[in-house]
Formats: sequence, structure tokens, C-alpha cells
Amino acid sequence: MIEKLLRTFMSWTAVTQIFHSLFRISASLSGDVGVLHVLESEANLDWVLKTGPNPPYMVILDSTLFTRSIMMKLKTGSSRVAGVVVVAPSSNPSEGFSPHTTCPNENSGVYSESYDPALAHCNVTVWNPLGNGLSYEEYDFPMFSLKDDNDTQAIKQCYYNHNHVVNGSSPQYPLCAMQLYSHMSAVTDTATCMRRNGINFSLNPETVCDPLGDFNVLASTRPLNYTDKGHKTGESVVIAAARLDSRSFFFDIAPGAESAASGFVTLLAAAHALRNATQEAEPNRTILYAFFQGETFDYIGSSRLVYDMENKQFPLDLDNVHSVLEIGQVGLHGESKLWVHTDPVSRRNSSVNEEVEKLIKNLNSSALNLNFSLQEPSFSQPLPPSSLQRFLRARPIPGVVIQNHNSAFTNKYYESMYDNAEYLNMSYPPNLTPEEQLEYITDAAKALTEAATIVARALYTQAGGSDPIQLQNINVDSQMVTQMLYGFLVKSNNSWFQQMVPSDFAIHLRDRPTNFYVGVTQQHSEPTFLVQYLLANLTGTTVNITQDNCQNQREGEDDKESKHIYSYMWVQGAAPPNSTERVAFCVRSTVRLSKALSPAFDLKEYTSKDYSTWTESRWKSIKGRIFLVASHELEMLTLGVGVAVLIASLMLTYIISSKADILFSSGREPTAATY
Amino acid sequence: MNLERLPNEEKLSLCRKYYLGGFAFLPFLWLVNVVWFFREAFLKPAYTEQLQIKAYVKRSALGLLLWVAVLTTWITIYQHFRAEWGEVGDYLSFTIPLGIP
Repeated sequence: MIEKLLRTFMSWTAVTQIFHSLFRISASLSGDVGVLHVLESEANLDWVLKTGPNPPYMVILDSTLFTRSIMMKLKTGSSRVAGVVVVAPSSNPSEGFSPHTTCPNENSGVYSESYDPALAHCNVTVWNPLGNGLSYEEYDFPMFSLKDDNDTQAIKQCYYNHNHVVNGSSPQYPLCAMQLYSHMSAVTDTATCMRRNGINFSLNPETVCDPLGDFNVLASTRPLNYTDKGHKTGESVVIAAARLDSRSFFFDIAPGAESAASGFVTLLAAAHALRNATQEAEPNRTILYAFFQGETFDYIGSSRLVYDMENKQFPLDLDNVHSVLEIGQVGLHGESKLWVHTDPVSRRNSSVNEEVEKLIKNLNSSALNLNFSLQEPSFSQPLPPSSLQRFLRARPIPGVVIQNHNSAFTNKYYESMYDNAEYLNMSYPPNLTPEEQLEYITDAAKALTEAATIVARALYTQAGGSDPIQLQNINVDSQMVTQMLYGFLVKSNNSWFQQMVPSDFAIHLRDRPTNFYVGVTQQHSEPTFLVQYLLANLTGTTVNITQDNCQNQREGEDDKESKHIYSYMWVQGAAPPNSTERVAFCVRSTVRLSKALSPAFDLKEYTSKDYSTWTESRWKSIKGRIFLVASHELEMLTLGVGVAVLIASLMLTYIISSKADILFSSGREPTAATY
Repeated sequence: MNLERLPNEEKLSLCRKYYLGGFAFLPFLWLVNVVWFFREAFLKPAYTEQLQIKAYVKRSALGLLLWVAVLTTWITIYQHFRAEWGEVGDYLSFTIPLGIP
């Protein structure tokens, strides 16, 4: 192939192949090559799929053309399509975009035929009406996303120079082509790839896929003895839950601003506001703060916690759970109103109903004093996708989920790459330094502060706290909320986060928004660590012990008990004004990580309908490049000439060697005069 | 080894050894037998042992043909249907290709 390497691109993100039994992308081992084509409109698809003379084509789509109808047509014509590249826009599309399904986590929640057939499969409310389900289809070609920068302009320029059709005449060779490498090892579905992982007598055993999972982050207002698993007599716990993860169509981009961050930032802020109240005047119930990972993929984290509670693998069990307050998507875009969703089926039981009404009353009374409105939806509808559904699958527990929507989601970009800081209205005045941006209190932060204060006060009352003075003093600090939003959605490498993490993690802080994709079990995701350290600093206390003791989870040389109930972290701290050395210290908290791996993998039920069975394929390097290709005829001609030269030289050698005596003995005797 | 230099009895004994060896699931021995002794058996002028060598070569060719038929059939079936056999296909395989079903 005559090629002139034009550019190798670094700013790629590809789609990784993840399985349940649904989502698949294939790519060949040696990379897929296709002639570039910038798609102008949906009608232009004809060129790619039918009339273009040089298939296969590598289709470049602008984000406005990245729709379900175009993708489905490309999918059916995949013998002529070598790959798809989507150019990510610099601002969010106004009409919304959600590659998730219209009914998220449809089969893994509580609403099934046996629970209540009228409520199953989003019969009452379609939660994500903008969902186009693209993330859950199978594709036979690789798909990449590119930022709209100079490299992308170069690609489009190459197309216009060489490949563009002018006045109906087809373009002449050499043509601009692109090669994408994103080979995925696993195929078909989770059951197949997990089986292939475990085959023993294969000549080259190779792991082809890994389950998705990570850790849930948990903390409690009163310490729990983690070595004492199973039912704890006398312990009545209020679970305050939020989800930690999100996703998008492409790997490595999952800003999850409204779908994840809005909820857990609110809960983190509420936990901090409750620190003093729960330490000074302890309410009789314990509050368990639970941040679940993997909820996007059929409730990995919450299903695991419920499973552990049912099987005595957790220091509490379901009998200890009094009620659940979950914070879902609470990004506010101007209104001061949130909605309290409940499950109508469990409320048919009068004792559960009574508890739910009490919880809603607590929430409402906290909202009254704050000029905020909390309402129940106007008609009876099921719970939106939420971790509470997994608890309800086990038994009817009183619980509410706070969301910013009455019926369908207001989030136009649910689980997409556009669900970012821009969507949450985190706008900063121009010309601020990163430090100033960190400190600047955005409107989004102010709104979440109100929401967090309500949640904190309601939790205090729900946990049995009755001191009105303590209640009044529960206030969320908006400075902290804006710093958290900045850290998770703009840049995690900022001075505030730097203070609160241990030094070996500090180098992993990045200058870009956090990626909320849960990832495979073996790889620990950044948000889990960040939330763990933040929660420890915000709900824990500083203790004056040595670094050695701190890192060994003990308060003194002979202390063997503390590690069962507390966890200790040695964090970097800040540098005092006059020096550059950070003053490190030890934080003692009740923060724990609990494994968030779907029970299906422990039970080896890879086709389970009860638990999440998501896995991610292993992949080798992901890269791409563009170059010019010559026509097939020219390639064959070059090959033919080469073969002809070979044969000719062989024949020449044979002829010369057989006539060597004639050619090389010239008649005269060689003079051998050596004296 | 140059067959020209061997006495005829040794040629016969060699041919017999290869013929008998092929029964131990070694069809390549029969292939070697056929190719190596073809000239000896059919193209050289007759000598005493040649009749027996001819017999061995013919039988080796027959056995070879049988093996080729069986193996080709099995390999075609396996390559075509392995993906569809799911679990059975995986357990029959020593090397499973990555990235394709």
C-alpha cells in the first residue's frame, strides 16, 4: 500500500465493548481501514451504503447527525462501513441526547410482573423519553469520538482535498483513508466470555473479559463493629443513599453532572452539616451514608449490599434498616422545587405507609423554613430508577427518593457525554484563575446548598433527633458545595482536594472532569477514592497520633480494637502560609469501602435475571491514523512488477550459472606467476 | 537417505516399516511411503521385491486417502460450526480466537 502517514491522533476515545447480552462492537485485530467520508446529511448516507465506489467507508459524523436513525442504517449496511467517528461539539446540543434506554434498569428494579404488572416496564411513566438506546445495540465496526480541534480539522481537510465528490464525478485515487485500532477480545455475551476465562486446558489461557464493579463508600454517624457481621440487636438505621456512577456512549467520558454528581455532592454536604449535631446530641437511630457504585449497570452496588445483608456478610441486616432516604438527580435549573417519589405498592401496607408519611413530613417541615418546595408527584406512579428499588425487592421498607422531576426526567442528557458542568449551570465569570474559580459560589452550588440543608435536617429528625436548637444549627456551607462541584466536574486537581487526600493518591488528581464510569472490578475508579477521602474528612475528626500508628489503623502501640470500628487516614494537609511543606495529619472516621461486585459473579450465575451481569471486554491499544491510499489496481501492478522482477532475476541467475564456463573463461590462461 | 544405494531387501523392509507404522494413527508415514517409494514401485524395472513394495505403496495410498477424507470432513464441520456449538465448541478447543465468535 502506498501510504503517506499524515498524522497519528492522540485525542481519541473509543467505545469499549461491554456485555450483558446486548452491547457489542467488533473490530479486526489489525485495525479497520476505510476511505474517509464526512457525512453531510442523512440523505448522503446513500453514498456510503449504496452508490459510493470505494467501500468500505470510514464515516465522520457531526454530533447533530449522531442519531438513532442514522446509526441504525449504518448498522444494517455494516459491510460497507469500516468505522464511525463522531465529532464532539464544544457545547451541548439544545434538543437533548441520551444514549441510554427509555426505561433505565428496566429488568433489575423492583417493578416486575410479580410485583405489580401495571407498573412494570415503564407502563405508567416513561422515565427517559429522550433515550435512543444507542448504548445498548450491537455494532460490527469500531466507533470513536474526537474533540473538535486542529487534528479534526486536518482530517476534514484531507477529506475535502482528496475524497470530496465534485459535480457528480467520483473521486480519483489516491484517497484519504483512516485506520482505527480498537480490537476487543471478548465476544457474544457475558456467559460466553466468562466461560472462556475459565477454560483450564486451553493452550494459551487468556482472560477476555472482566466484571464491572468497584466499591461502595459507606459511613455511619455511630461507629459499627465491622467484624461482627449479621443482625445487630437494638440497632435501627436510617440509610441515606446516593449513586456514584454514570456513563456515556464512549469510554473514558462520563461527566455525570446531574445523573450522579448532583446527588452525591448533596449527600456529602448534608453529611458534613450533620457532623456536629450527631456527635453532640446523638439521636437514637444511626444514619448510614451509602454511596453506591455501578448503579447505572443494573444496580451493581446496591444489589450487592442487599445481598450481603441477607447473607450475614455485613455488620447490619435488613431487619436493622428503619427507612431509606435516597437523593437522586437534584440539579436545579432555576426552580426551587424538588419532588419526593415513593413506591405505591409497599405503601399499601399501613405500617410502611405510616413511616413513609412521617418521613415526608420531616422533609416538608425542613423545607418550610427555607423557602423551598418539596412535593409528592401529582399522581400515583412507581419509583424512578433508584437504589431503593433493590431494597424493596428484598422486603417492603419505607423509603423516599428525592428527584428534580415530577414524572419523566428533566435531564435531557441522561447518561451521555453532555451531562456536564455546563448543563448544571456552573458558570463562572470570565478571567478567573483556577483558585478563584474553586472558591466562586455558582448558582448551581447555591441551589444544591438549599437541597442539602433540607436533607440534613430531615435526616436528623428522621434519626430521632429532637433538639430544635441543634436542628436550627444544621446548615450546609455553600462554599464547600461549590468546591465539591468544581472538584468533581471541572478539575479534580485543585488545592482543596489536594489537602484532603493521602500523598500517594495526590498524583492521580487530574486536570479534567472526573470520569464517573464504574470500570472493571480490578481497576479502582477515581470517584470512589475521592468520595472516600472527602467523606472521611467531612464526617471524621482529626486525631493526634503518629503517622506510623495512623497508617496501621491504631491509636497506640497496643490498640487492637480501633481498627474494627474506625478507619484512619494519613492525609497531606495544607501548607501553612509561611512555608511550602504540607502539614500532614490523621483523620479518624467511620468510612468503609464495601465491595460492589454483582452477586452473579460470586454465584457464577452468568445468565442471572436477578443480578447485574455486566462485563467489559479486554482490549489492546486504542489508536488511529490517517493516510493516503492508492487504488487497488496500482497495488496489484506494483505487486506484479515485483514478482516479475523476482522471476526475471532468478532466471537470469540460472542462465548465467549454467553458461558460466563460457562467460567467464575468456580464453587466456590466468597468469600464475608467483615468485 | 538415498534409496539408490540400498540393497532391495532393505528397501522392502523400510517400506514395510513405514506401512506398519502408519497404523499407529500416523498417516504422514503413509504419505512418505507413497511419495518415496513411488518410483521404486512403479517406474523402475521389475525386481523380486518390487511386487511386495507395490502392494505396500498401494495400501498406504488407500489409508492416506481415508485419513484425508475423515480429517477434511471433521475440520470443515468444526471450523464452520464451532461458534454455534457454544459451550461444547469451547471445551473442544485448545485455542480460541479472540474477538470473533
